Amino acid sequence: MDLKDYLIAEEPYYRAVGSEIALFEAAYASRMPMMLKGPTGCGKTRFVEHMAWRLKKPLVSVACHEDMTASDLVGRYLLDAEGTVWHDGPLTLAVRYGGICYLDEIVEARQDTTVVIHALTDDRRMLPLEKKNEVIRAHPDFQLVISYNPGYQSVLKDLKESTKQRFGAVDFTYPAPDIEAEIVAHEAGIDMPLARQLVTIAARSRNLKGHGLDEGASTRMLIHAGQLVARGVSLGEACQVAIVLPITDDPDIRDALGAAIEACT
Amino acid sequence: MAQADIRAFLTEVAGPDAAARASADYLTQEARRHIPAGRIAEWVAACRSLEQAGLGNAVILAYVRQSPVVARIAGADAAIALADHVKTIAFTAGRAAAQALPAAAAAAASRLDSADRYKAWLAVVLRFAPHMKESVEALLRHTDHILSRLDVSRFEAWTLGGIRIAGGDKERRRLFFAFGDPAAERSLLRESGEVVFSDLERRLKTYLTALWRVRVAVREAAVGVGRPIPRRASFDAGVVRMPASFPGVPQAQANDLFRAALAHIAAHLMYSGPRFRPGSLKPLQIALVSLIEDARVEHLAMRDFPGLRRLWLPFHAAAAAGTVTAPGLMARLSRALIDPDYDDDDDFVAKGRRMFFEREADWEDPTISRGIGNLLGNDLGQMRVQFNAKTYVVEPAYRDDNAGLWDFEDAPPEDMDVAEMFESVRIAPKQEDEPEPDDSKQDNAPDTPINKARPSDSTPEEEGVPVARYPEWDYAVAQERPEWTTLVEYPPAPGPAAVVERILEGRPDIVNRITALVRSARVSRPVRLRRQPEGDRLDLDACIDAVITQRHGDTPDPNVYMTSARKFRDLSVLVLLDVSQSTNDRVKGSRETVLELEQEATALLAHAMNEVGDPFAIHAFCSNTREEVRYMRIKDFQTPYDNMAKSYLAGLTGQLSTRLGAAMRHAGEDLRNQMTHRKLLLVVTDGEPSDIDVQDRKYLVEDARKAVASLSQQGIDVFCVGLDSGGDSYLTRIFGRRNALQIDRLSSLPEKLPMLYFRLTA
Repeated sequence: MDLKDYLIAEEPYYRAVGSEIALFEAAYASRMPMMLKGPTGCGKTRFVEHMAWRLKKPLVSVACHEDMTASDLVGRYLLDAEGTVWHDGPLTLAVRYGGICYLDEIVEARQDTTVVIHALTDDRRMLPLEKKNEVIRAHPDFQLVISYNPGYQSVLKDLKESTKQRFGAVDFTYPAPDIEAEIVAHEAGIDMPLARQLVTIAARSRNLKGHGLDEGASTRMLIHAGQLVARGVSLGEACQVAIVLPITDDPDIRDALGAAIEACT
Repeated sequence: MAQADIRAFLTEVAGPDAAARASADYLTQEARRHIPAGRIAEWVAACRSLEQAGLGNAVILAYVRQSPVVARIAGADAAIALADHVKTIAFTAGRAAAQALPAAAAAAASRLDSADRYKAWLAVVLRFAPHMKESVEALLRHTDHILSRLDVSRFEAWTLGGIRIAGGDKERRRLFFAFGDPAAERSLLRESGEVVFSDLERRLKTYLTALWRVRVAVREAAVGVGRPIPRRASFDAGVVRMPASFPGVPQAQANDLFRAALAHIAAHLMYSGPRFRPGSLKPLQIALVSLIEDARVEHLAMRDFPGLRRLWLPFHAAAAAGTVTAPGLMARLSRALIDPDYDDDDDFVAKGRRMFFEREADWEDPTISRGIGNLLGNDLGQMRVQFNAKTYVVEPAYRDDNAGLWDFEDAPPEDMDVAEMFESVRIAPKQEDEPEPDDSKQDNAPDTPINKARPSDSTPEEEGVPVARYPEWDYAVAQERPEWTTLVEYPPAPGPAAVVERILEGRPDIVNRITALVRSARVSRPVRLRRQPEGDRLDLDACIDAVITQRHGDTPDPNVYMTSARKFRDLSVLVLLDVSQSTNDRVKGSRETVLELEQEATALLAHAMNEVGDPFAIHAFCSNTREEVRYMRIKDFQTPYDNMAKSYLAGLTGQLSTRLGAAMRHAGEDLRNQMTHRKLLLVVTDGEPSDIDVQDRKYLVEDARKAVASLSQQGIDVFCVGLDSGGDSYLTRIFGRRNALQIDRLSSLPEKLPMLYFRLTA
């Protein structure tokens, strides 16, 4: 078995903001585990896809969630007519056959789940499967990448110190206005002035971070709004549908944000 | 005969001197004018019945004076019946209230102008009087003010609202009906159907944050009896004062008006430079410089946010017509500067417009406002049009009074008119900003806490009530001494509640973290329960185990299902604050005292608990020998966390000693009655338990330890936050190692306390 299905054939669009591509290539060269930090919708996942394509390695993504157990990552025994059969989990797949394993939003998983990666992310580079009595030495191509939204950081949800310190990190933020406008224009298929206007609107919502919003509007949201406008929806309605309504349920914040968007146009 | 009868009576009541006789004459006439001759005898009998009831001359005179007014509008029956109502009120609410009733009745009759409505009003007063005995007088005295804004049914709603808001607390009711509580005026505005600023405050502040990333402190400008209603917003030294409402503005527009006003002020804050010095400018010039500055900052704001024009423009209603007056021309100029489609052929307006737009390249520079305004002021001055600085009000209504643009501090304007121009629209600071001048509480002035420590200084009003006796543990004989300590509850002294608001505004970082934690704490999260005997899904791992066991030939575990259940919060928290004398010490390396830090921490904690919705109480204690362990209830489980609680929190002062055990036992009594699964007592103390009648240092420590033990037997968790860096040993002794937290750096208390709460209750 190999991971052909996990290879990315076409180049995913990614607009570099700084030196992140070179940094990641260097990190991959020494198979250093990487952590991508940044708010939601700023391009972390797109970046990993782009790098997997660039490095021509398969990419196994796992969206982490609260109920995730270690077996969901490493695998479990299933039953068939003869008896039990071992079934590799996504992490084990990547370790065994060589690929980039991407654990998205790792803080969502419980801390005791994430310790299974410890042996993989230091110089041992191995994955012990206790239930199967097997130790897998990581394939030379294997690399672990996690993403992590510092906005969630709280006493209740955070990475263990021992987990954090195994990773190199790339910090993602929303790109500078001109670059962000370029991205929005490209992805949504709209012209630059409109994209710039959307970026100004996004800045309004990002001002509200910590004052009623947990996060401002992401680049992804702007692309959504742009796509709606490209299909003939008016800018005001598009912002309402793609930005204001999804981002908050609080009527006061909706009103304030709606009025601020109104002021931008 | 009747006339003589009245006169005889009145002279008797009023006294023998000449003035009294004259007024008796006048009253006689009044009575005869409004009360039909056939009923005069009844009316005099009513007067006499008041005399017989022993209510005193003041009450009788009030009735004699006012009842003819009632008779005029509501009829003689109502006027005569009023005497009985006066007696009823005297019986329920005392003589002062009885004396206020006739005048209130007369005012109500004239305001409502109908016998039916008057009767409805009277019925409301009589119905509510027994529920607000101490405040009946205040309600009656303000009747005229209230009825000038509300009709009878809304009067009823407002009164009932006051009783509800106070929730059985006499002091609060008194404050409300005396309009000492801003809630009174606000609810009056709300009942009268105005759009009230406080309803919009949050969304408007958020709006400004979205646009400019500014957080402005907005206060509602004071309104109240006998104060002119502020007509314009104002800003000064970073504080914006907003009228509570713009009377007469239709509801649909009021929303936008508040928004436009705040956006305009924010434009000043963002784009106006340092304040102008008035120098030798005339009032007219000052008004024009302000006007140009208004237009300048609005244009700069519109460069960034073109949509603001749509917000501001509808309020510019000036038209190029009508008589030429200075305010009229200025309103037209204002419009000309913002509205490109506006035509005005007036030379002055055209010149102003030209001058302003010629300098478009220099708009970033605030000094151009002064230059242009100066010249225009001269021009307008030479046109000899009327300008009265005292009555001038900035137009349109969303613009502020511009007092924040000028710096009168160093150079008081030579021309008093200038100052008066601002005075006329100036909004007085909200009363809440200063401590209430309350006679009964004068001894509580916050700067004399040490004096207050002496019991002799307490005024009768703040005498405590002994409520319970508690045993104390004597470790030397290993025995409880029954009924050893007396717990005395003292009413807490109110302080300025705004202090608490300021604490929250001053620590936005912590408040934000709290809000985030609150959210995750509040939602009842689904928890997956594995290996259940029944459920909606198969638990794969359990199934596999079961089948493996089966193939081994053993009996499999039947618990192979999985289900999810929601985890609810079910706990109550009582925060017990140590407010002994030592809390007045300054914290090392900080200008704050321990008590101030405690207040700050408690304010943040209370904010968090209030948001989460856990039932919580805040109590404070100090002690003066075993005979007097003082206990103050800042907030109880059943009372809301509102301005009153905040004001009590702000009013705490440090005094006397720390008899911890007794206070904890008393707090335990309260917690024990809470019907929640978990009960948490959170003690915040700054030192070792001590009291002046105890020499042995170990004695009170051991007693407190005993108290903690007996509380945990009752299912109450006790946790202590110690603010004494050397306190490790005795705190651990009292509370146990796991249940005491030592805070080394005191200044971190405000952020640590709420976090601790979340950790303890997660």
